[in-house]
Amino acid sequence: MKLNPISLFRTMTRMRAFDEACLEGVQTFEIHGELHTGIGQEAIGVALAQSLTPNDAVVSTHRNHFHALAKGVPPRALMAEIFEKETGLCRGRGGHMHPFDPEHHFSATGIVGASLPVALGYAYKFKMMGLPHIAVGICGDGATNHGTFHECLNMAAAWSLPLVCLVENNEYAISVRFRDVTATPTIAERASAYGITGRRVDGTDVEAVTLAFAETARHTRKGGGPSLLEATCYRFRGHYEGDHDNYRERAEKQRMRVEMDPILRYRRELLEHGAATEAELDAIGAKAREEMTAMLADVRADAMPDPAGAMDYVFAEVM
Amino acid sequence: MTVRKINASQAVAESLMQEMARDESVVLLGEDVGRSGGVFGSSRDLLERFGPMRVRDTPISEMSFTGMGVGMAMAGLRPVVEIMFVDFMGVCLEQIYNAMAKIPYMSGGRVKMPMVIKTAGGNIGSAAQHSQCLWGTFAHLPGMHVVAPASVRDHKGLMAAAIRSDNPVVFIEHKGLLLKKAKDFLTGSEVPEDAFVTPIGKAEVARKGNDITLVTLSAGVEYAMEAAAEVAAEGIDAEVIDLRSIVPLDTETVAASAARTGRLLVVDEDYLSFGLSAEVVVRVLEKLGPTALRQIRRHAVPDVPIPAALSLEEALVPGPASIARVLREMAAAS
Repeated sequence: MKLNPISLFRTMTRMRAFDEACLEGVQTFEIHGELHTGIGQEAIGVALAQSLTPNDAVVSTHRNHFHALAKGVPPRALMAEIFEKETGLCRGRGGHMHPFDPEHHFSATGIVGASLPVALGYAYKFKMMGLPHIAVGICGDGATNHGTFHECLNMAAAWSLPLVCLVENNEYAISVRFRDVTATPTIAERASAYGITGRRVDGTDVEAVTLAFAETARHTRKGGGPSLLEATCYRFRGHYEGDHDNYRERAEKQRMRVEMDPILRYRRELLEHGAATEAELDAIGAKAREEMTAMLADVRADAMPDPAGAMDYVFAEVM
Repeated sequence: MTVRKINASQAVAESLMQEMARDESVVLLGEDVGRSGGVFGSSRDLLERFGPMRVRDTPISEMSFTGMGVGMAMAGLRPVVEIMFVDFMGVCLEQIYNAMAKIPYMSGGRVKMPMVIKTAGGNIGSAAQHSQCLWGTFAHLPGMHVVAPASVRDHKGLMAAAIRSDNPVVFIEHKGLLLKKAKDFLTGSEVPEDAFVTPIGKAEVARKGNDITLVTLSAGVEYAMEAAAEVAAEGIDAEVIDLRSIVPLDTETVAASAARTGRLLVVDEDYLSFGLSAEVVVRVLEKLGPTALRQIRRHAVPDVPIPAALSLEEALVPGPASIARVLREMAAAS
């Protein structure tokens, strides 16, 4: 797989700028519920974007923005949904935790542990119809201790379904440390219990995670059965905006935000290898922020859903 | 059109067979649905006919295979997910009420959820963890249709309607009805051989009467018909309404009858409090006015788990004898 470094950098930068724009809505209460940003986890989003085809399916989590963008969900409709607008992807009914885009085969769930079963349904259909698509079920380290993790990998392996289980291991299930509640040092090693391919990769090294996901996806797409990819990363902000986040040492956070920032890391790498100049990379960053600032201004002008429609869409048809 | 007497489990299996033959996107999955043909025989012969990709025996992983059904529906299939006993729904309720029932709304109408949860409820002496009905629980949670057939004919017609619906439908069979012989049914065991649909949301008057409006569903209809026949000899003329569907609830049919008789009795094999019986009463009163009825009675399982001993179960669960007793009490009161 040939990588385009500038494109990888740009995609990560746009993702971060997207979430930074969303952060503004929290301060102003335009987003009046929770917001879980993916800041620090951009490289994994890029890995998805590089390998998925339009017909593949992705089922994501409460921290879903980058996965949605990677799957081709229109950024403006996604941002409008996050800002609870009628113009949003789901007409303001779903909000940031529940974006659904059937056209791009993307969905998410706000319930930890609930994404893999739905992804399994897509995988089953692809296998049943003999289609060359894959279903990617994304979960965090917290969800890997949920019963569905075992149930789904078991079924996917038993029936050789094209399911890629992508685990974003950011070390914390809200406040609970992965190592305090998990029997094995890694999640990837559990793959052997199901006789499937399992792999662990540094999810903040954009090239490494992109290549690892590409290989994993190819294996499954070519009929190799389900696979498990554990991408390590670090959540830069609290579990949600407003989380007091007193369960992580300040020193740890400061250190990790430097060491595990996928954008900073890649920037250094590109500069070291002379793949780009500081000015070029700065310009990419500035352009991304400009794009998202403009998008935010645009979204803010949209109408909120009409209260008269609050009961619409409960059922597909009027009985 | 050929009409035969068949039993309820045959009717369900026949409906599944015809719908699966008609539409390749219909798939059935669940525990023991394939090789055994269902613990009540309601998916007999389907594995042989359609093969393991469309008739899938699952491991005991209710949470995940229910969620798999949600994913299948979103991917364009029409899954029928069997949860063997309704009591097991606690294991997978998350996917039912957070995913299946909410995604159409959460998506702003962009996603359809053509999915059926097929499950068996009701009392046949199996004690607390294998005897519940729980239709009131599902009806309380927005976003799913809930049906519970009584007649054999409706087992077939409502299953076809559920499969063809673009909405999620919880289809609750009664274990007692699934085990009942065709010849023992008091209502509708003559079933057309050809496929047909019973519309979801329309109640049926199972017995016409002028004195008391008796509203019930599922096996309660059979019990009520037996009780009504018994008290008819004493000059009490009960009208028996089979709701068929809890969501949507056909308030029109019930209210029209209650307005005529002035007496309303709801018989419910589900728990008493915060459930179907109160909902039916309130909807009728909202429609007719608070003073429209002379008598209102609820006969349901008091708020207690179902005991194992027959003597205790009979004391709690509505049956023909207890329904007849309530009808007599109502008739005597005015």
